[in-house]
Amino acid sequence: MDRRGFLKAATGAAALPLGTAGLAAPALSQTAAARTLRFVPQANLANFDPIWGTQYVVRNASAMVWDLLYGVDERLEPQPQMVEKDEVSADGLTWTFRLREGLRFHDNEPVLAKDVVASIQRWMPRDPMGQMLRGIQKELVAADDRTFRWTLNKPYPKLRFALGKPGTPCCFIMPERVAKTDPFTQITEFVGSGPFRFVRNEWVPGARAAFQRFDGYQPRGDAGTWLAGAKRPMVDRVEWHVMPDAATASAALQNGEVDWWENPITDLVPTLKRNRNVSVDIADPLGNIGSFRMNHLHPPFNNVGVRRSVMMALSQEDYMRALVGDDNSLWKPLPSIFTPGTPLYTEEGGEILKGRRDLDAAKKLLAESGYKNEPVTCIVAQDQSITKTQGDVTADLLKRLGMNVDFVATDWGTTGQRRAMKNPPGQGGWSMFHTWHAGADCVNPSGQPAMRAHGDGAWFGWPTIPEVERERDRWFAATTLEEEKAAVAAMNRAAMEQVLYAPTGFFFSYQAWRRNVSGIQKGPLPFFWNVSKT
Amino acid sequence: MFAYIVRRVLATIPVMAIVALFVFSLLYIAPGDPAAVIAGDQATPDDVERIRQSLGLDRPFLVRFGEWVFRIVRGDLGVSIFTNLPVSTMIAQRVQPTLSLMVLTLILAVSIAVPMGVVAAWRQGTLVDRAVMGFAVLGFSVPVFVVGYVLAYIFALELDWLPVQGYTSLDQGFFPWLENLILPSIALGGVYIALIARITRATMLEVLQQDYIRTARAKGAGQGSILFLHALKNAAVPIVTVIGIGVALLIGGAVVTESVFAIPGLGRLTVDAILRRDYPVIQGVILLFSFVYVLVNLLIDILYTLIDPRIRY
Repeated sequence: MDRRGFLKAATGAAALPLGTAGLAAPALSQTAAARTLRFVPQANLANFDPIWGTQYVVRNASAMVWDLLYGVDERLEPQPQMVEKDEVSADGLTWTFRLREGLRFHDNEPVLAKDVVASIQRWMPRDPMGQMLRGIQKELVAADDRTFRWTLNKPYPKLRFALGKPGTPCCFIMPERVAKTDPFTQITEFVGSGPFRFVRNEWVPGARAAFQRFDGYQPRGDAGTWLAGAKRPMVDRVEWHVMPDAATASAALQNGEVDWWENPITDLVPTLKRNRNVSVDIADPLGNIGSFRMNHLHPPFNNVGVRRSVMMALSQEDYMRALVGDDNSLWKPLPSIFTPGTPLYTEEGGEILKGRRDLDAAKKLLAESGYKNEPVTCIVAQDQSITKTQGDVTADLLKRLGMNVDFVATDWGTTGQRRAMKNPPGQGGWSMFHTWHAGADCVNPSGQPAMRAHGDGAWFGWPTIPEVERERDRWFAATTLEEEKAAVAAMNRAAMEQVLYAPTGFFFSYQAWRRNVSGIQKGPLPFFWNVSKT
Repeated sequence: MFAYIVRRVLATIPVMAIVALFVFSLLYIAPGDPAAVIAGDQATPDDVERIRQSLGLDRPFLVRFGEWVFRIVRGDLGVSIFTNLPVSTMIAQRVQPTLSLMVLTLILAVSIAVPMGVVAAWRQGTLVDRAVMGFAVLGFSVPVFVVGYVLAYIFALELDWLPVQGYTSLDQGFFPWLENLILPSIALGGVYIALIARITRATMLEVLQQDYIRTARAKGAGQGSILFLHALKNAAVPIVTVIGIGVALLIGGAVVTESVFAIPGLGRLTVDAILRRDYPVIQGVILLFSFVYVLVNLLIDILYTLIDPRIRY
């Protein structure tokens, strides 16, 4: 018994004659505690609709509650999950999918093909791959209760990946009545067929969410990694405890009040590593990619020469050291827009970000490009440590380069609004903002809207770079790994030469857990199945 | 007296109306977009715009304000943009932790600060007085979050006597409830204790110079009786006033304290709502806080009549 346990028992014994309820704790609650996994998420679960809101935290919680047709394994290969088998016609235009037997929703209704069709139809308008599929779709129908058929106008070799990718929004399967909700309107019923069910009446947004093991879940028979294979819930209950303060989360983990912390900040990691009851490791081998985005519509960054001069001066080491400190194992230089260590990774065209940084040469290029001292409105969200840190480094860089910096310190809510404005910087618009992308979203050109360069319809900054779009289309049509690699290399070259956006480096983040918890995987999201606690 | 209370309650209506108009207008002109936050970082500008339209955020100010006022007068605070839950439900979920924290802090602060102030006045110029005033300066100077971290480090991490964070509902037992609130209440109470102790000391010093105190001493009244029955009772009006004013301090301090100790109260709800631009929640919570503050002031005014019979309305 620890000291607090002893004190509890002592105060409890003293209170017994008073008839208080303060002492119920002992054996029963200890057993229950061993069956409850207490988790501190990266952010608040403010809403719970993975299609309406595409934040990572919503995706992470949703993966417990809603299942996927396919799931990627640690090699990023899509494996059947709810699907038992699929068949594709010889011309690649007709896909027929058969669902596994025994799939049930949390209300005990069977999962039917019509539920899948409605879910796919709700997902498509919100997802870049889904939008492509909708553009080439001829027909999507339920053939019988367990079979659905998808007919396309042209082949789409990446279909399995689209349905099983981990990037938001994932194609989660919901009951038809729920999936018929407009994709831009929030659902009000949280019924899935995943290994855990959402305990709605215990949800206190901003503070707590609870998930109960779903006894009707039928895990696959094969071994599980990431979103593929068997998803076996090993605890009765998972509780999410939202802690806005990192020091509090650190202390709670050390004190055994929580079991798993998704994203300890780097400053606190040495303290956690010294605690013999706590394990610390890299959270996601696919890491994160820092970046800043320049506005291609207005001066000065509508000028590729100005964009290139900034890239030429940019030192990724400065950004990464500011973000992760002195631990060199936590970051890598990244002359690419793709995730290092993945099959399609390329540094083609990335020379501008390599080698010693030459500020004088960058200044010369800036002068030659015709920069006329226009203000650079740099909007920096101060309430996100990653964007704030990058913003500070960028402001210093631009000043040293001799640019006229208008540093706008604001919060993420305002950044989100302002970056959508296409006005010139002096009229409410902007010149640049900072962000970061999950490495899992940058393993190929499919899921990252920031990689699009089709002008007005592109992501914020609205770049028009036809070569990027052409090579992206080539990748989608590729049927061999070699073809895919060639397309991605050419796409990266175009992105670097035209400065689609500026990568500031590749970095990892940590996760930490109590040593009595086992089965935690490194991956692009926390996987709660196959995790047990003693 | 009854007529006075009725008048004061009625007077809260225009006050609340002004607060409502102020809050709504301020949020309308403040930058930020809940649709962008909902859509997430990966969303396209079109996605953000579609969500904005579906939430009705693209409609004119007067339309939105009119609808909101119409709902408010019917007692409907609206629905959170993010959670889709009624604002009243979200407030109800969070009231108990905040109320518990504030009440416990109030009890702790008053029961410590008033005797401290009385003793400091009684022993003016001595080491005790200086110690009390030194504590008061510290209480004012050290931020709540620093006190919180230090307390958590000592009593939770090092000594393992109390939990670092969280809240246990009162219906799960008094001691579990108390266990979670001891450290937050001490952290939050510091500045409040300092404020009340200083006012108590200053007021008591003034009262202790009065003729009736000298008379009480001449009659042979004991020191305790002089301090707590004769002097403190007459010094109570300014002390009660400060306690009332201090409720605003508690509301502000609760925001920080709830974050440091991960207490799911109204303070954290407010901060989260502001960061996300969850307008209905911000409006609902600020209206509630304003109402509570107005109500506390009313209670203080009524208390005056009980403390000092010379005061009549």
